[in-house]
Amino acid sequence: MMRVDRKAAAQLALLLVGAAMLGFGVWRGEAASVLSKAVKLCLECVGIG
Amino acid sequence: MKLKKLTALLLAALLVLSLAACGAKDSDKAADMSGDNAAMTGEPKNAKEAAALYQKLMEQENARFAENSELWEKVFMAADKGMAMIEDGKNYGDFLLDTIEGAKEQFTDMEYKWLKESATEISNIENKLTELEEKYPEIVQSEMSGNADMQKFPAFEGKDLDGNEVKSDELFSTNAVTVVNFWFTTCSPCVGELGDLDALNKELADKGGALIGINSFTLDGDEKAIAEAKEVLAKKGATYQNIYFGSGGDAGKFVENVFAYPTTYVVDRSGNIVGEPIVGAITEKKQAETLQKLIDQALAADMG
Amino acid sequence: MDREFKTASHRLARGRGWIQAGAALLTNLHLPNFLKGSLYQGAGKTVCVPGLNCYSCPAASGACPIGAFQAVVGSSKFSFSYYITGFLILLGVLLGRFICGFLCPFGWFQELLHKIPTKKLSTKKLKPLTYLKYAVLLVMVVLLPAFLVNDVGMGDPFFCKYLCPQGVLEGAIPLSLANSGIRAALGKLFTWKLGILLTVIALSVVFYRPFCKWLCPLGAFYALFNRVSLLQMKVDEHKCISCGKCAKVCKMDVDVTKTPNHTECIRCGMCVSACPTGAVCFRYGFGDGKQNIKIKENTEETT
Repeated sequence: MMRVDRKAAAQLALLLVGAAMLGFGVWRGEAASVLSKAVKLCLECVGIG
Repeated sequence: MKLKKLTALLLAALLVLSLAACGAKDSDKAADMSGDNAAMTGEPKNAKEAAALYQKLMEQENARFAENSELWEKVFMAADKGMAMIEDGKNYGDFLLDTIEGAKEQFTDMEYKWLKESATEISNIENKLTELEEKYPEIVQSEMSGNADMQKFPAFEGKDLDGNEVKSDELFSTNAVTVVNFWFTTCSPCVGELGDLDALNKELADKGGALIGINSFTLDGDEKAIAEAKEVLAKKGATYQNIYFGSGGDAGKFVENVFAYPTTYVVDRSGNIVGEPIVGAITEKKQAETLQKLIDQALAADMG
Repeated sequence: MDREFKTASHRLARGRGWIQAGAALLTNLHLPNFLKGSLYQGAGKTVCVPGLNCYSCPAASGACPIGAFQAVVGSSKFSFSYYITGFLILLGVLLGRFICGFLCPFGWFQELLHKIPTKKLSTKKLKPLTYLKYAVLLVMVVLLPAFLVNDVGMGDPFFCKYLCPQGVLEGAIPLSLANSGIRAALGKLFTWKLGILLTVIALSVVFYRPFCKWLCPLGAFYALFNRVSLLQMKVDEHKCISCGKCAKVCKMDVDVTKTPNHTECIRCGMCVSACPTGAVCFRYGFGDGKQNIKIKENTEETT
């Protein structure tokens, strides 16, 4: 039983960490940076050139 | 099991469909090509066909020049030294042949052979062109009007990054050729070519041309974006003018439709876009050559 | 045979092809852009899709997590992406490599290629290659874009630029077909990456999902989360007759009875369908669950 609880706790903790990181990233402007790149064709990304 | 089969079937159908779509496109192209080739050898039936043929031949000739521009440069140098490069109604291909013959010792056997071959082809093309011009005088005209309904670079009234007013009609009309480079601050190939663009701007200045940059992030005068753009420009030592305007106008919409970065346009004195936009950084040889060709084309047209 | 077990696990495993097709469509909703030769430029691209799907695909409705990560890391402002990492941790815990098996368009593409009837080869002996993907993730996605920078602090998206076949397939090929300017820009890089794509295609026909197994950095990331994912494989020891059919049918070379949450398991559910006693099932929820708990109905796709 102990093991089960620990696993669940780890899962919950990871979810919280993930959400926190995501929120922090958005807050410091990463999401806007992603959008500005993703709406343009990244020539070097797709292998043009 | 049934479901699986159905899925497979549907997928197969989808695949076939998409392939068919691609295939259709390709065969269209193939048909196009063969059509062109037929036009190349056959006689045009009407003025429209003649104009198309005329265009094709011109392209073919230019392709010959583009194929080995360095070698041709040598030929032109020889021509400059040797005879006067005035076209006295003589076939340009024959003129080239004479020049090549005259400067024979400057080339290796291979080069000489290739040049001879090319010049002969050009001579043939020129003959055909003259013939067409005589038969259908209007195609030269339509060639011109074809230029006239070429796409105009959208007009704008904006500012440069230092806040000075810039109007498109003034900008274009004061320059024999204006190279317009679209970039944005976080695009690494764009930033990579800023140095080369600056060098090109200086080169153009001597020829009565100019280069300007349009950073898509700075539209509408976003102050933060302008500051960042200026910082990158300064770091790369780029001193040419960078401009912005409102995103709502024609020019703003135009920028929105530029989605491949960097893209470079060549604009002539009357504000027309010359040739196709160049996609990709001019640090690449291919892009640099295409750009140079368009610039030369615009400059030559401006002289004539 | 499959009339015997009508559990949710079986339904899920059997409907996989449909879910894959649906996911591929949802990730690439803007189909008319293929003809226009342009990209979707709306706000949807702020958010990543779960699978490997190039954001320079004309139809793409969201950003590629790996591409977006490199874009952020490669920009001069940031050298790590909390936004994408957080997003991927969430997906990793919520679904793990279920994403590879059910939602990733490139995984589906490789599977379709594998349906081409030829002699198929086993990848069991090539197991060491499966560790390569972690190196790809660490070196090409995380380290090089962040630290190998130019004079203004910008790094190249190394994985996208030099390795990713999906970019050529979804981006370069359709765009260059529809757009002459882009066609004119094709050069050495395109040749290199087309070579990679063709290699992956050829390998996919004879091997099952070679890119997922050996190279995919996204798969590598999700693989690390398989153990803690809420979605798990569960083997009922009382029902299992140790016939070994599940291990034999597994194309990812996993023995679900021994390592139900193996990093290579993409949760495709082939073992679920193969089990003659219905001992293998999906399980969704916190913790390890009790022995007899079967799937809870929570396995739909996410956003």
